[in-house]
Amino acid sequence: MTISLNGVTKYFGRDLVLDDVSDDVPQGSLTALLGPSGSGKSTLLRIIAGLEPLNSGHIELGGRDVTNVAVRDRRIGFCFQDYAPFRQLSVFDNVAYGLKVQRVPKAQLRREVDDLLSLVRLEAFANRYPRQLSGGQRQRMALARALAIKPEVLLLDEPFAALDAQVRGELRSWVRELQHELGITTILVTHDQIEAMEIADRLVILNEGRIEQVGTPDTVYDKPANDFVQGFLGPMTVLNGVACRPHDIELCDVGLGIDARVTDVVRLGFEVRVVVQTSSGESSWVQLTHAEAQRRSPFIGEHVSLRVRTTADLFR
Amino acid sequence: MPVLALSTELSKPTEQPPRKWRLFGGARGAARVVRVAGKSLAVTYLSLLVLIPIAALATNAFSKGLGSFWDAATQRESIDALRLTLLCALAASLLNAVAGLATAWVLVRDRFAGQGILNAIVDLPFALPTVVAGVTFYTLYGPLSPFHVNITGSWIGITVAIMFVTLPFTVRSVQPVLESLTFNAESAAATLGASPVRVFRTITLPALAPALLTGTGLAFARAVGEYGSVVFISNNLPYRSQVASSYIYSLATSGQTNSAASVAVVLLVLALALLVAFSYVSRRIARARG
Amino acid sequence: MRRSSMILRVVVLLYVGALVGLPLVFVFQQALIHGLGTFFRALGDHQMDTAMILTAKVALIAVPLNVLFGVGVSLWIVRHPSWLTRAIDTLIDIPLAISPIIIGLVLELAYAQNGWFGSGLAALGWHVMFSLPGIVMASIFVSLPLVSRQVIPLLREMGNHQEQTAATLGAGPVRIFCTITMRSITWATAYGVSLTLARVIGEYGAVLIISGNIALVTQTLTLNIGANFDNFNDYQGFVGAALLALASIVLLLILGVARHRERKRHDYLA
Repeated sequence: MTISLNGVTKYFGRDLVLDDVSDDVPQGSLTALLGPSGSGKSTLLRIIAGLEPLNSGHIELGGRDVTNVAVRDRRIGFCFQDYAPFRQLSVFDNVAYGLKVQRVPKAQLRREVDDLLSLVRLEAFANRYPRQLSGGQRQRMALARALAIKPEVLLLDEPFAALDAQVRGELRSWVRELQHELGITTILVTHDQIEAMEIADRLVILNEGRIEQVGTPDTVYDKPANDFVQGFLGPMTVLNGVACRPHDIELCDVGLGIDARVTDVVRLGFEVRVVVQTSSGESSWVQLTHAEAQRRSPFIGEHVSLRVRTTADLFR
Repeated sequence: MPVLALSTELSKPTEQPPRKWRLFGGARGAARVVRVAGKSLAVTYLSLLVLIPIAALATNAFSKGLGSFWDAATQRESIDALRLTLLCALAASLLNAVAGLATAWVLVRDRFAGQGILNAIVDLPFALPTVVAGVTFYTLYGPLSPFHVNITGSWIGITVAIMFVTLPFTVRSVQPVLESLTFNAESAAATLGASPVRVFRTITLPALAPALLTGTGLAFARAVGEYGSVVFISNNLPYRSQVASSYIYSLATSGQTNSAASVAVVLLVLALALLVAFSYVSRRIARARG
Repeated sequence: MRRSSMILRVVVLLYVGALVGLPLVFVFQQALIHGLGTFFRALGDHQMDTAMILTAKVALIAVPLNVLFGVGVSLWIVRHPSWLTRAIDTLIDIPLAISPIIIGLVLELAYAQNGWFGSGLAALGWHVMFSLPGIVMASIFVSLPLVSRQVIPLLREMGNHQEQTAATLGAGPVRIFCTITMRSITWATAYGVSLTLARVIGEYGAVLIISGNIALVTQTLTLNIGANFDNFNDYQGFVGAALLALASIVLLLILGVARHRERKRHDYLA
C-alpha cells in the first residue's frame, strides 16, 4: 500500500505547523520522519492516521483518497510513544481488541491472537495486565495489537523514545526485521537520527513544517541538501568558514595544510575527538577512530595542520 | 522467531462487517447528535438548578433597594450571628489544619495495625448525615452528657461540631501530596546537617503548604455555612449562640424572605470570597516554589 | 525519632478517636440502650418508616440523575475544553461552598408559588415547595459536583491515547466509550456515586426549608430524626440516627474499596 501526501497544510490556531508537505511513500518501505522537536512530524503522522484533521491537501492510501475518511476506516495500525495500553484489559484482550470489533469468530480469534503473541514473544503474558509488563514488553504488545487487524500501513510515533538504551536497540532491530518480513508500508517518527539511519529505507527530514530533504540514509548524509540537514544528521564542524564533517578532516604534520594547535583531546573509547584551534582563531574538531588515535597519539599543545579529505583521497 | 509463518496470514485483509446506523449518517452522525443533545441538556440542568436560583437570590435581596438590604445585613442579630460563625469556623479550621496535617502524616509516613480503619474513619464526616452528628454531640456534651460537661449554647460546642465536620477536608487535601513527595529533598537536607524539625519546617511544610491552604479554605467555606451538626448544640439563642445559617432559617420561616435573602447574600459572598482567597494564596505559593 | 513518631501516632489516634469514633459508637450505644427487641420495634414506627420511604424515593431519582450529569459533564470538560467548559467547571463546584440553608432558600425563591417560575409551574401542577420534586432538586444541588470532582482528574491524567488507539483499531464512538472510557473511570465513578448517595440521604438544612418538614408527607429520615429530638423523643431519634450511621459505614467501606482499587491503578503508572 503506497502512501501519497499532497500539499498537506496544518495550522494550530495561527501557527503554521505543516507547510505544503508532499511525498510519495513506496509500498513496503520503512520511511523515517526525522526532525527536531516541533518540526511537525508527529502531527503529520497523526494526520495520515486520521487522528487530526488537516487544513488543506490530500492524503491517499493505495490510491484511495482518505482525506475525509474516518480513522477507524483507514485500515492503519498506530503505535504511540506511551504505548497507550488498554489498562483494564489483559494482554490477550488488548491484542484481540481490533479483531473483536471485526466480529472475528472465537476460535479463529484465539488462534490469531496466540500467533501474534508468539510473534512478539509475549505468549507467557497473555493473561497478565499491562501494568505487569516492562516498557519493552508493552511496546511489543502495542505492535501486536496494531498488527492484529492486518493494517495496510503501520504508523509508529517515536515508539522507542521511552525505553532505556539497550532495550531500545534490541527492539529497533527487531522491528526492522519484522517490517522486512511482513512488507507492510511503515512510517516511523523519530528525532533520533542514528535510529532513523539504522533502520529506515528512506528518510524524510522535516524542519519547521517543511520537508528539507528526502533520500536514503547514505544520500542525505553524504549529499545533504542544506546546512540544516547536514548539521542535523551528523557531527559537523567548521574549517576555513566551510561546514564539513569532523571525520573528513585529516590530521597531518605541520606544513601540509592549515596550521593549528591541539587544545583538547577527548577520549570516548570508540572514537577520539581532537579539538584544535587554527592560527586565525577558528575552533574545529577532528574525529579519529580508535585505531587512528593510537597510531597518531595526539597530545594537547601539539602543532598540527589540517586538510579536508576528498573522495579522491579515498582511493589513494 | 516464527515471522515467516505469519507473513502470509498477516498480509491478507479480513472482510469488514456491514455498517448499521446509515440513517443517522453513520454511527458518527448519531454520536454527534447525542453529543449536542447531551451538552444542551447539561447546560439546562446546570442553569435550572444553580444559575437561576442564585440569580433569584440576588434579585430578591436587592428587590427592596440597597437600603433595605443593608438594614437586614447589619441588624445586631445578623452581625452577632455572622461574627460567631466566622470565629468558630476560623478556630475549627485552624485547629483542623494542624490536626489534619498530623493525621495525614500518620497515615502516610507511619505503619501500624489498624491504619486502614483510621483511614476509613477520617471519611466518616463526609458520609455521616450532619443531623446525626448534631444530635449526638448534643447528647454527648450537653445537659445529659455522660461526661458531665455542658458546652451547649457556647462557641466551644459550635467549634467542636465544626471540627468534626471539617476534619476530612484537610486530611484528604494533604494526603495525596504527602504520598507523592519522595524523600529525596528531605534526605538531601538531612545530609547537610539539618535536624528533623528543621527539615520539616524548611522542606516538607513548604511543599505541603499549597494543598494545606486549599484544604483549609474548603473547610472554612463549608464551616461558615454549616447547619445540621451545629444547630442542636448551639441552642440557637439569638445574639448569644446563633450561627448565621440558623439565623437565615428563622428569617425565612417567619416570612421575612427579603431579610433572609439579604443575609444569605452576605454569607454567600463571604464563603466564596474565603474560598477564592485561600485558593489564590495557595496557587501563589505553589507557583513561587516552581 | 522513633519515640516522637510514636507520640504523634497516639495523639492522632486519640484525637480522631475522640472526635469521630466516639460519637459513632455513642449513636449505636444509645439506639441499643433498651435492648434489641425495643430497637426493632422502634424501627417499625410509622412516621419513621414513611420518612425512610421518602428518603429512598429521593435517592432513587436524584443519584442516577447526578451520576449521568457528572460523568457526561466531566467528559465534556476534559475532552472538548472551551471557555464554556471552564465556566461550567467553576460553576459546578459552587454548591460545595454554599450553606444548605441558603440552597433551600434560593430554590424557594426561584420555584415557590410566589417565586420566579412558581406560578407558571403551579399552573402545570408542578409544586416545588413542600413536595417531592423540591426535595429532589435540593438533593441534586447539594451533591452536584461530587461525581465530576472524582472523574475529571482521572480523565485528565489518562489522556486520550487509549481512545485514539481504539479508533485506529476500528471501534466506533459508542464501543470506545463502553469498552475503554467507562472501564477506566469505574472506580472513580463508584467513589463519586457513594459520596453522592451519602450526601443525598444525609441532607438536612436544604430539605428542611424546601419540604416544610410536614410529618408523614414531606419528612425525610434526617428531618424525622431532628423532629424526634425537638419533641424530646430522643430514643426514637437515635434509632433513626443509628440506621443512617449504619448506612454511612457501608458507604465508607465502598469508598475504601474504591480508593484502594484506584490506588492499584496508580501504582502501575509510576
